[in-house]
Amino acid sequence: MGTADDRFKEHEMNTRLLMMMHVAVGGLSNIGAVPHGTRRTAPLGGGTFEGPRLRGSILRGGSVDWQLLRSDGVLEMDLRCTLQTDDGALIAMSSFGLRHGPADVIAAIGRGEVVDPSTYYFRTTPRFETAHASYSFLNRLVAVATGDRRPDGPIYTVHEVL
Amino acid sequence: MTAPIESRPLMVLHLTTSSTQEIGATPQGTLSIFPIIGGSFEGDRLRGKVLAGGGDWVTTRADGTMTLDLKVTLETNDGGFIHMTFTGVRDDANRYVRTLPRFETAAPQYAFLNRLLAVGVGEIRPEGPVHIIEEIL
Repeated sequence: MGTADDRFKEHEMNTRLLMMMHVAVGGLSNIGAVPHGTRRTAPLGGGTFEGPRLRGSILRGGSVDWQLLRSDGVLEMDLRCTLQTDDGALIAMSSFGLRHGPADVIAAIGRGEVVDPSTYYFRTTPRFETAHASYSFLNRLVAVATGDRRPDGPIYTVHEVL
Repeated sequence: MTAPIESRPLMVLHLTTSSTQEIGATPQGTLSIFPIIGGSFEGDRLRGKVLAGGGDWVTTRADGTMTLDLKVTLETNDGGFIHMTFTGVRDDANRYVRTLPRFETAAPQYAFLNRLLAVGVGEIRPEGPVHIIEEIL
């Protein structure tokens, strides 16, 4: 057992796969220029999630990504969605994220092209709330995700922080 | 095939707290406020002190775990100010203290902090909390 500082030197952050999420985007609503940047909302058109411990579908109603393009070119994402597991549990997920990268890469994403996700930064930090006993472990963890913005919607690889 | 999440060290944050303010049982849970009166942070790219005047708003939930909600100001050794916040989970039964720090700064040399997400691994020590914070790459 080392001290916290020793562990820092060892550079360890342990994670394990929680799930892959495939999200379908619905229509974008461009709110426009607001005091903090340019705001738009992206209602989700549904989707699926699958991992070793949970799988199911993303409900459409109430599942929206609230986005703010900041003056420094960084896109802030505030996703709220409801997951329904294949055994009927509902899980509320909220996830703050950032997306940014070289101007040409971001422009290509905007044109709906397929872009190598390693060429830009797309990371989110999901949190979960559920009342279902089988999934209560989700209430007690934080997670990090990498995103891959495909033309039909983002794919998130969500890892539990151990 | 899924790639692992990559990270690199950002800083070790040592916090000094004063006596806890027990707000008590509220509709949201049992709220305790940990005033932060100082501390330090150090990493390859930034180091300095934690200013007095921050705090961690800790809510103990019905399942016995705590949610953390911290705000502090960091002052770097070259005079930059960094607004740092985190939310997180503390589950003493599983020795799990994990946080999701975010940073806001106007100091150009630290603008990289505005563009990253981070994860902290915390430890509650007798002299105060310590958080090992890594940048998510």
